[in-house]
Amino acid sequence: MTELKNLVKSLLEEGKVTKVIGYRMYGENNTKPYIAVTPNDAEEMVLNTDCRNNLSVYLTKKEIINGGKTGIVAKGCDIRNIIALIQENRIKEEDILIISAECKGVGAEKGSAVYANKCVNCSVKTPHLYHELVEMKGSELSQPKDKYTEAKEKVLAMNSGERFEYFSNMFSECIKCYACRQACPMCYCEQCIADMSIPRWIESSATDRGNLSWNMIRAFHLSGRCTGCNECERACPAEIPLSFINKLMYDTAKEEFNYESGMNKETPTLIGSYNTKDNDNFIQ
Amino acid sequence: MEEKRITKENLIKLGSNWVNDGMNVYVNNGKKYTLMKLHEEDLKGFEEAPPLMSYKEIVFPKTEPILYYKKSQKEVEIIEPKIGGVKNIVIGAKPCDAKSISIMSKVFNWDYKDSFFNVRAEESVIIGMACKYNDEHCFCTSVGISPVSTDGSDLFLIPLANDNFGVRIISDKGKELISKYESYFTNGDSEESENVLSSIPIPEKKFNAENVKSWLDKNFESEFWNTTAEMCLGCSQCAFVCPVCHCFDIVDEDYSFTEGRRMKNWDACQNGLFTKHASGHNPRDKQPKRYRQRVSHKFKYYKDKFDEYLCTGCGRCSRGCPAGIDIGEIVERIDKLTN
Amino acid sequence: MENIYKPYLMEIAEIIPETKDTATFKLKFKDPEIASVFNFKAGQFAEYSVFGEGECTFCIASSPTRMEYIECSFKEAGKVTAALNRMNVGETIGFRGPYGNYFPVEEMKGSNVVFISGGIGLAPVRCVIDNVLDLRDEFKDITIIYGARSVQDLVYKNLLDEWQKRSDVKTIVTVDPGGETPDWKGEIGFVPTVVEKASLKAENTFAIICGPPIMIKYTMPVLLKLGFEESKIITTLENRMKCGFGKCGRCNIGNVYVCKDGPVFTYEQMKALPEEY
Ligand SMILES: Cc1cc2nc3c(=O)[nH]c(=O)nc-3n(C[C@H](O)[C@H](O)[C@H](O)COP(=O)(O)OP(=O)(O)OC[C@H]3O[C@@H](n4cnc5c(N)ncnc54)[C@H](O)[C@@H]3O)c2cc1C
Ligand code: SF4
Ligand code: SF4
Ligand code: SF4
Ligand code: SF4
Ligand code: SF4
Ligand code: FES
Repeated sequence: MTELKNLVKSLLEEGKVTKVIGYRMYGENNTKPYIAVTPNDAEEMVLNTDCRNNLSVYLTKKEIINGGKTGIVAKGCDIRNIIALIQENRIKEEDILIISAECKGVGAEKGSAVYANKCVNCSVKTPHLYHELVEMKGSELSQPKDKYTEAKEKVLAMNSGERFEYFSNMFSECIKCYACRQACPMCYCEQCIADMSIPRWIESSATDRGNLSWNMIRAFHLSGRCTGCNECERACPAEIPLSFINKLMYDTAKEEFNYESGMNKETPTLIGSYNTKDNDNFIQ
Repeated sequence: MEEKRITKENLIKLGSNWVNDGMNVYVNNGKKYTLMKLHEEDLKGFEEAPPLMSYKEIVFPKTEPILYYKKSQKEVEIIEPKIGGVKNIVIGAKPCDAKSISIMSKVFNWDYKDSFFNVRAEESVIIGMACKYNDEHCFCTSVGISPVSTDGSDLFLIPLANDNFGVRIISDKGKELISKYESYFTNGDSEESENVLSSIPIPEKKFNAENVKSWLDKNFESEFWNTTAEMCLGCSQCAFVCPVCHCFDIVDEDYSFTEGRRMKNWDACQNGLFTKHASGHNPRDKQPKRYRQRVSHKFKYYKDKFDEYLCTGCGRCSRGCPAGIDIGEIVERIDKLTN
Repeated sequence: MENIYKPYLMEIAEIIPETKDTATFKLKFKDPEIASVFNFKAGQFAEYSVFGEGECTFCIASSPTRMEYIECSFKEAGKVTAALNRMNVGETIGFRGPYGNYFPVEEMKGSNVVFISGGIGLAPVRCVIDNVLDLRDEFKDITIIYGARSVQDLVYKNLLDEWQKRSDVKTIVTVDPGGETPDWKGEIGFVPTVVEKASLKAENTFAIICGPPIMIKYTMPVLLKLGFEESKIITTLENRMKCGFGKCGRCNIGNVYVCKDGPVFTYEQMKALPEEY
């Protein structure tokens, strides 16, 4: 298997791509995104268990993707977002070159000995769409405690009033920075509904009401689209467990429609395959 | 300087008393400046990183009504919001946070005076605490603050052995706050406190802020900006967590056809719509221009205008940045360009 | 507590439709006491608000020499301007101001003045024109050059007529080529070209210029070529504003707050600013 650095270097040298979005080290147990443009830039490129970012968000930025084929280092989970973007016609497969690896899982945070939650039950550790394969470095991590299943059961047992209360509380700390949106590869709308002022659909104030409507509407707009990459939660400065509601929606899509986004570039999107006979008894 | 001594247990009790007195008491519990309920919160943070969010909300809330209105077909009545009347106490403020109110006070008071900020600032009492934390993102010493500086604090805590604290009385406000509760304190030993303070390593400066400013004076147009924050997602996290970023938006919200309120909400220059004109023209149409604003505002414009850096070196914007952008590192690079 | 964000209430006394998407409002303070003490200078702006919709920034288009009404002219561009357009005479709006600096009318006394504007840009210029005309004797030659995309887009048609009738003012009104109607009697051509042909004296002359950025961009070199002094070419900038008084952090160009240190700038000052407008 080719070494990542050498691969990126030759891709750039041979002009097969104009740039590669990848990771470089950032302190000891951390990495950060960067773009290699010259073959020399490839020297810094790494792929290891500290590569937490989902770089596919950069594929939604015109300034970055324009100007020739873009290489991108992507783990299986990140590839799901790339596929979802292809499914939604946001990007074209021929414009990108995916460099992937058999994934070892990434650490929950800097220096952490356990996986990130998104790695639990991950079904794409073996990448499902790629053009080049390399090796992922880093030590073995252990399984984190599963908090989700219990919380889900608790919420499903609630009546609608209790649920309303539960989510209102969860979102009350939101400060309306929209970091969740900016970090999300699937939140690429030129004009977000949160920024629309005529009419104003979502109150822009970070009051309980404005926060609940923002976070709920975002979750709806991502249902059947969210891949569970957790970037929103990682970006949120208010430490709101955003993945919880997203995962509830994800599970619903899976249970009701047998749909998981970002698995196959040929399948139509869930919204795109709406059928009047679709089940709707889960909506309450 | 007058110094007293208090046990941690008594300090927490004292906090509960202030809660009983009707004050909002925020405690640095090591992760968060959290609103204290009776006896519920622990005071930590001496060796911990600055909490994820600063406490600027106590003087500059994330959202607040600046007026209420009632309207009919032709008439409008304005109702003024009531603010203040509640003291805000912060126990265990990091030195890099303690200075934030006095820094922001400059912009909220040049020429027009913003009472929403001033009333709250006047009613806030900051109990700072020496800091033994230091990581690759911290750079307080580069902007004139230090882990032991009392600047901005009304009282200052020095963690001593056996869960005791030396309490230095810095301002009259601080003195008044504890005057009712003298019995919780014993006499302070300044020498013991001094020993603790001098055992705290003072991090070396990472950059020379004056050099940075003089580079910024000349380099509004520079290739540097295009290659510095190209991975920035424009997520605004950095500004929202920052103890001194103070930008806001003003919006109206109806609650019915006849009533509503006008709100002042946090906003940030990293947001692409921030400077967009109604015509569609946007003077800062690309992320590098927005990032340039961020750095320049902090290390040049504010200094030019108000003789302060708009940054306390707390490093929290960098710790939280989803794209791994570190303002200290960037400014350090600017400093190196000047050599 | 003094609330700097609290607007005065004003009644819409008259609405003058200007073009398809612009209108002028004549406003009267609800509180006669405020009306009697309120004062401003030509070039200052204010925050106008529709309760429930929000605030937006317009210059005060009327002259401080005519205090019976405060006037503003606006173009529908978004949420608040659309709401204003739906309002009727007798309804109430909010008004905070005056804010910002102003045109150096005092300094201009004894000089020639050329007013150059395009589209809705005549609004901020109009207050100075009225101001100067009300003190006509104190100024030398006065020239007004105004252009719009088409005849339908001309604002202040009555005022333009009035100025054109005066013998102590030279008024040139132009529309872009293709924007004329069969009975159009004014000039046809873009503002910069018209300025070039207007045989202006640059000596001892102030030029006040407001309009779309593109017009300003192409007129500036013409003025400089004609020999205008950089410190006597004056314009206003329109950065996005919220507070209007140096707090919200939105309007800055480098270390200058446009809402406080502007919106009126000389070309000399503008040249020293970074390009962020
Ligand atoms: C000094 C100065 C003088 C000016 N003079 C004039 C003049 O004389 N005539 C003229 O026609 N124009 C003038 N302008 C331009 C004018 O200010 C704008 O065209 C006007 O503000 C557009 O407002 P709008 O509400 O219609 O537009 P929008 O951009 O739709 O709306 C802005 C308003 O909507 C709300 N809003 C919009 N987006 C958001 C969001 N994302 N979140 C929350 N709320 C949001 C805000 O409350 C804001 O008040 C001037 C500008 C300046 C700076
Ligand atoms: S909503 Fe969150 S978890 Fe889902 S795709 Fe977006 S960033 Fe990833
Ligand atoms: S990132 Fe967190 S705080 Fe920011 S808008 Fe999203 S949910 Fe709210
Ligand atoms: S936190 Fe980072 S990514 Fe977000 S706006 Fe700030 S610098 Fe950009
Ligand atoms: S800019 Fe960053 S380091 Fe400086 S005060 Fe703000 S959050 Fe802290
Ligand atoms: S850095 Fe940006 S958000 Fe912070 S105060 Fe300056 S302009 Fe405002
Ligand atoms: S408009 Fe708010 S600072 Fe200028």
